[in-house]
Amino acid sequence: MKRNKLFAVVALLVLVALALAACGKATPTAAPKPAATQAPAATEKPAATQAPKPTEAPKPTEAPTQAPKPKPSGTIIIGTTDKVTDLDPANAYDFHTWEIFHNTMDTLLHYKPGTTDLEPGLATSYDVSKDGKTYTFHLRKGLKFNDGTPFNAQAVKWSIDRVIKIKGDPNWLVTSFVDHVEVVDDYTVKFVLKKAVNYFPLLVATFPYAPVSPNCYPADKIASDSTCGGIGPYKIAKWTRDVEMDLVANPNWYGEPPKTGNIIIKYFADATTMRLALENGEIDVATKSLNPTDYADLKSNPNLQVVEGPGAYIRYIVFNVKMKPFDDPKVRQAIAYAVNRQAIVDKVYQGTHEPLYSMVPIGMWSHIDAFPKRDLEKAKELLKEAGYSADNPLKIDLWWTPTHYGDTESDMASVVKEALEETGMIKVNLQSAEWATYTSQFGSMGMFLLGWYPDYMDPDDYTYPFAASDASDDIGSNYSSKEMDALFAKEQAATDLRGAEREKVFEDIQKLWAKDVPTIPLSQGKLFVVAKKNIKGIVLDPVMLNHYFLLEKAGQ
Amino acid sequence: MRSLGRYLLIRTLLTIPMIFVLVTLVFIILRVMPGDPVKSSIRPGAPQEYINEIRHTLGLDKPLYVQYGDYLWDLLHLDLGTTLSPVRGQSVAKQIWEHFPATLELALAGMLVTAIVGVGLGAYAAHHRRSLADYSLRLYAIVIYAIPVFWLGLMFQLVFGVWLKIFPVAGRISSLAVAPKHITGLYTVDSLLTGNWAAFKDSMMHLALPALTLGLYLSGVFVRLTRSNMLQVLKMDFVTAARARGIPERTVVYRHALKNALIPIITMMGLQFALLLAGAVLTESTFSWPGLGRFLVERITYRDFPSIQGAVVVFALLVASVSLLVDILYALIDPRIRY
Repeated sequence: MKRNKLFAVVALLVLVALALAACGKATPTAAPKPAATQAPAATEKPAATQAPKPTEAPKPTEAPTQAPKPKPSGTIIIGTTDKVTDLDPANAYDFHTWEIFHNTMDTLLHYKPGTTDLEPGLATSYDVSKDGKTYTFHLRKGLKFNDGTPFNAQAVKWSIDRVIKIKGDPNWLVTSFVDHVEVVDDYTVKFVLKKAVNYFPLLVATFPYAPVSPNCYPADKIASDSTCGGIGPYKIAKWTRDVEMDLVANPNWYGEPPKTGNIIIKYFADATTMRLALENGEIDVATKSLNPTDYADLKSNPNLQVVEGPGAYIRYIVFNVKMKPFDDPKVRQAIAYAVNRQAIVDKVYQGTHEPLYSMVPIGMWSHIDAFPKRDLEKAKELLKEAGYSADNPLKIDLWWTPTHYGDTESDMASVVKEALEETGMIKVNLQSAEWATYTSQFGSMGMFLLGWYPDYMDPDDYTYPFAASDASDDIGSNYSSKEMDALFAKEQAATDLRGAEREKVFEDIQKLWAKDVPTIPLSQGKLFVVAKKNIKGIVLDPVMLNHYFLLEKAGQ
Repeated sequence: MRSLGRYLLIRTLLTIPMIFVLVTLVFIILRVMPGDPVKSSIRPGAPQEYINEIRHTLGLDKPLYVQYGDYLWDLLHLDLGTTLSPVRGQSVAKQIWEHFPATLELALAGMLVTAIVGVGLGAYAAHHRRSLADYSLRLYAIVIYAIPVFWLGLMFQLVFGVWLKIFPVAGRISSLAVAPKHITGLYTVDSLLTGNWAAFKDSMMHLALPALTLGLYLSGVFVRLTRSNMLQVLKMDFVTAARARGIPERTVVYRHALKNALIPIITMMGLQFALLLAGAVLTESTFSWPGLGRFLVERITYRDFPSIQGAVVVFALLVASVSLLVDILYALIDPRIRY
């Protein structure tokens, strides 16, 4: 049977299209990678994660001993649905990119894995001036950036100046606090602050403060695709945006060598595909984020382990307190009494969140359960006082956004609506807008759902942006109170970052919050990582950045 | 062929106003639609002054007609501009070139599956009219067309990936495989050209499920179309004559008749190409296939105006060139057609 002509036609179609494509240049080709040898091996429970502890000022440590280090080997493939934005600490402001930084560029101080305590990083120690306005850091000696440029005080100053000059998204973490940086000598650098900031060491652990090589990054331009990195346990060997990133162990790393030589991060378009890839063995580890229902399912898979850790990710309702009817505190209080946190946790997040009764996350220093438990009677009473009844119900719009907070968000909005309508005196109209639209509507939405990840591990980060007079308009809450502002001033001026005095101020802030209700905290997410049984060293902490350098595959 | 040359020239020139109208529409729709590329890429709560400053540096504070004029001027110079969000200042053209080969590879493979399965089964159904096979194939054609393409993809992933563990479910090539040297950007072709058999096998395995999903999804239309066309052709005199001459039935059906039924099918292939690209957008998301469709979807959520406009222009050009190509194919398949 001859079908040659039919095939000739089809082949012609293909060829012409090929010719069209052939003139194009595309994705860089991959460098050869070592093949990973896999062996199923004994499973081990990952180290228990620790609850956050009060931060202590890091103590000076001796220079690392230069004993011969074993060369890390092996490969682990990690999947994520997140994306890298700018591989430039001057402009990146998202969790996943910061996670890459966490593994490729150290900061002067960093969090000890598994805790929220700081420990020395590229600086061995620091001193604070009496007035709290000058921080002097003593740098580690003999270190080099990946391009061979020596690490010194000049490089630190250059990197900070660069962030200030570029004015990228996270620049406020530097520019709101640092007046200027001075080089004292090659290995001593001084940060002069605009005002005393007791949580400055926590800021230094954020990535806009990461020193980068002056010879590898442009001084006044964002380098979105730079694979230079800083000084970290890993170096970026290859990167194809939205497809894959390959990290190799940095042989010059001053600290404990990474447990695995190669880390490959694969980028997925959606959670379902990532789950299937994990079940199919194409990836070793799946991190942010699978769907809440997946965790329960995967727990029963004999080849996989589901590791649960504390998270500092919170969900809450924001009110625009200048907009009717939310300008009446009684209305806000009534809604706070009526929301059903347990239903959110059970129905929406399937147990991957826990109920939250304060804007300060559970487990964070100074947290108290400030908001009242659910009380429908109390809610009805308040609504009556505000002039509403079953015949004259409170009619409100609740705004939510469909994809930014995962596929569960429509359930979230429905569960909140249901809970409020249970009072019989509230009618909720659900309104949704895509994230790009949503964020441009801050200020014109009266009541809307949001989420918050930490910038720095301090209650200030969870309270100030929403309720301080000079910040609340940007988040669309417009809340302003002299009493609250005074408390913030007191909290920020306290000399002891984790002292009893400051703790008391935060308790007052949380209590006042429950009274004035600029926002209603709803739930707090736990962090989940699902991995093959032979992956060891998964250490989770509220900072929520994965430590790739601790991961280890048994048997390779 | 002089007249064909003239025809091609006119057709090509006609695509220019088409692209212009399309670009203008997309430009206006994107700006009218609520949403802001700057705010979508930075954290909620960023100070308004800071947002204004970025808007200013990006030129988003200029009057719309000025932005439109700038955009058209750049487009005339084949400059697609730079991205706004989530990462600012990257060349849109470069990003599109990086994502395009993946989409092309998927579209071609999908088209191949559609052609083989759709035309083959359609011809078979016509040949065995009113048999059980015919009825099953007609049912298949309706069902496969009605199934959402992403659901079909998910089922394939579940069955062939997770349960049977035959095919990988995501990406274009294994992380641990050596990607072929870049020639065309199509992994399967590049690995063949460089004789990299391991990469060829690996990329074919990765291509299998997405191509099958996309190809089968579109095959339904072609089963029905081929069947009905074949039935008409099989009633024609030349078929009767061929049969009378004692030419074997299979030769009559699959060689003489099918060839004559091909013209409307080729037209349909051209028309369905737009649908194929639409299907590719969904298939790419389902299989984490790093192509232009996934790129477009992602950038729409960020309101990255230049990228969306650029991708739409490229898709439009593609559809236009394919329909042009189809017209040329007519002339080749049927010598009676002249332009």
